[in-house]
Amino acid sequence: MATLLELRNVTKSFGAVRALRGVSFALEEGEVHALLGENGAGKSTLIKVITGAYALDDGEIQIGGQSVSHLTPARARALGIACIYQQPALFPDLSVAENIALRLEKTSPLHTVGWAARRTRARELLHRIGAEIDPAAEVRTLSMPEQQLVEIACALGAGAHVVIMDEPTASLTQKEQHLLFAVVRDLRAHGVGVIYISHRLEEIFALADRVTVLRDGESVGTNPVDEINESALIKMMVGREVTAIYPPAQSAPGASRLTLKKVGCSQSGVHGIDLELRAGEIVGMAGLVGAGRTELARILFGLTPADTGEIQLGGQAVQITDPRSAIAHGIAYVPEDRRRHGVILEMPIAANTTMAIHAQIFPGTWLRSTAERQLTLDFIRDLGVKTAGPQAPGGSLSGGNQQKIALARWLATKPKVLILDEPTQGVDVGAKSEIYKIIRHLAAEGLAVLMISSDLPEVLGMSDRVLVMRGGTIVAEFPHGVDAHDVMAAALGQKKEAA
Amino acid sequence: MAASGNTNQRRHAIGEFLFRHETILLLVLVAEWFYFNSVGRRFGTLDNTFEIMRHSAEIGLLALVMTPIILTGGIDLSVGSLLGLCAILFGKLWRDVGMSLPVAAVCTLLIGALAGGLNAVLIARLRLPALIVTLGTYSLFRGLAEAITRGVDTFTNFPDSFLALGQQHFAGLPTQVWFFLVVTIAIWLLVHRTTFGRSLRAIGFSPEGARYAGLPVERRIAQAYILAGVVSALAAIIYTARLGQAKADAGTGYELFAITAVVLGGTSIFGGIGTVHGTLFGVAAIAVLDNGLVHARQPREMAGMLTGVLLLAALGAGALPKLLAKLRAPRHSSAPPS
Repeated sequence: MATLLELRNVTKSFGAVRALRGVSFALEEGEVHALLGENGAGKSTLIKVITGAYALDDGEIQIGGQSVSHLTPARARALGIACIYQQPALFPDLSVAENIALRLEKTSPLHTVGWAARRTRARELLHRIGAEIDPAAEVRTLSMPEQQLVEIACALGAGAHVVIMDEPTASLTQKEQHLLFAVVRDLRAHGVGVIYISHRLEEIFALADRVTVLRDGESVGTNPVDEINESALIKMMVGREVTAIYPPAQSAPGASRLTLKKVGCSQSGVHGIDLELRAGEIVGMAGLVGAGRTELARILFGLTPADTGEIQLGGQAVQITDPRSAIAHGIAYVPEDRRRHGVILEMPIAANTTMAIHAQIFPGTWLRSTAERQLTLDFIRDLGVKTAGPQAPGGSLSGGNQQKIALARWLATKPKVLILDEPTQGVDVGAKSEIYKIIRHLAAEGLAVLMISSDLPEVLGMSDRVLVMRGGTIVAEFPHGVDAHDVMAAALGQKKEAA
Repeated sequence: MAASGNTNQRRHAIGEFLFRHETILLLVLVAEWFYFNSVGRRFGTLDNTFEIMRHSAEIGLLALVMTPIILTGGIDLSVGSLLGLCAILFGKLWRDVGMSLPVAAVCTLLIGALAGGLNAVLIARLRLPALIVTLGTYSLFRGLAEAITRGVDTFTNFPDSFLALGQQHFAGLPTQVWFFLVVTIAIWLLVHRTTFGRSLRAIGFSPEGARYAGLPVERRIAQAYILAGVVSALAAIIYTARLGQAKADAGTGYELFAITAVVLGGTSIFGGIGTVHGTLFGVAAIAVLDNGLVHARQPREMAGMLTGVLLLAALGAGALPKLLAKLRAPRHSSAPPS
């Protein structure tokens, strides 16, 4: 058996963030090699290094036994590496044959098109993977797995020996999954190496030959699947390094602030949410990407209003129809995408800070620059924002300081319920600890905090209670001090814990 | 350290001021003035200055209310046609319906608000693209004006007391210049000194970001278009008073002059960036050029050409520092993770 692809001690950093720290990985001929890891463990970065989208900082890539330096996307394709993404990147208005031709055909001298040859080629490729798809069909009429099969056909047509599949079953039904599995097994039988990324452990055990677990940009280990069990895999995934100090809880939770009863929103796939937030407590929300955590926050903030269930604030049933009504009810939301939603980068820090309290700080709509400046300076001092001054544009700040301004905007509204979505994403370690202290301090002052985070140690360290979401609903609740293993198992859908 | 930071900041601020659009434009304006003053004999007189103001009041009004709209990242192509429609309806209300001129004027302003409201509903509520919506109302409003007059009817014989608004002086200035000044001050305060202007900018920079901050995005956008409708109606009344007649083709092409003045004045067509005084300089630069060429005994056709050159040169000058910075900056090898 030949080695198709080998990575040795690959490192890749983005500024201060070390996404890959010396990862080694090998893919053999006719092997399905699963890649597993938490959100942010480095899976995507690793894939992008293999496909040539990112240049590696250090280390070596060997393809087909040859060392390759300066890998580009075009070079990777030429060397037989293909990647099938969750959302197929096909042109919906063109036919299957045309889509395949776009990837594979070379331009003829007179730019003529041989339609018959094009259709024959497409039919052959689709036949090879056992797909019954009409080459003349428009791609928009195909189902998601059929589109993935077209992608796989393209990959084969391009002579790919290495096929990467990034969560291919995330949006597939049970039946569609089996079809896809059959194709993957067929690829393996033909000597193709498949890198298979999935959060579904049962798939990995059903399909893969070996599994490599990534954690914090490092490879924790590679094992044949028949020599390892689910519990051991979860143990390898969690236990991320603790990089910050979590301030302890200072007070017991007080009165109920926010109660949700069977809340759902069909548009965003969130359903049956029962939740209670009390004054002075920090409730952590764990789960995988796509579990519905941000979608729940968007319901509470009125961005996609709930269509079922009841939301109570301080015991009163309320309707939250848009962000303005959420703010009026004392709900604040510091969004996940800081640069698009949290801060307006082109506007001064002062304008960003007062943006949610125009009516309070500027009665009669006239801007009052002295009051605005004073409030901003207070927040800059209290939150320890490093900046040239209140008039510096938001975009001039570092990630952590931008996050503090996004937070300041919402603290200025004097909220009763604060929803934080990935509050320390892209923030350096020093600023992380400062943000933790601020959050703990806010809770001690009586704020109810809901903290959504994909950073498991952060959730475990900061939360008085931990909730776990999966598939659009809350599947488990744990007290402070819960084991990371149990939380990860619930997020992956391993054990059913009583909510 | 703080002191040196301050000096640096100040030096930076001075540099920014010099390269600012408004400053460049002001220099262009001064240069235009001196050039035409040296070649035309009557150009620099007070009478001619008033003449320039008189002729630029209507386009100036349209440019003023175009500024808040472009700040939101929108555009309004219908203001010139709306001026025509309002001029016709104003004449109709007075001559055929028999309203007194002040009542007809108030009704005309209300019609302007309604017409602006139509744009507002389609753009803010139904979220249709402003360019297409106002392209539609551009044709609609002009078409209505032509249908009402069947293309031939004109309204004339307005009383002298009304014509004074467009042709006489009041307290030393052409009468309509007073209206223009009041609207200028009002719009300047609105854009630069109220939460309304602040919200428009936020929407222009990032509509989603503004929504996440809880700003009333729809309402603010709607208000900008309604304001444009009202002021277009005011411009229609002033136009009628200046020429002494209302015809269906009144204000043809004015929307493009207004947009030119706004963009020339340094407002970004993508929204967020721009000032009302910049727009004012833009209006002045175009008006002085137009009038100066007559005094320099150059053909009027030159005006369009030179306005185009001026606009492109101003845009080019604005893009130059960025281009230089790009050429100097080292190339990046990779992008951060998404």
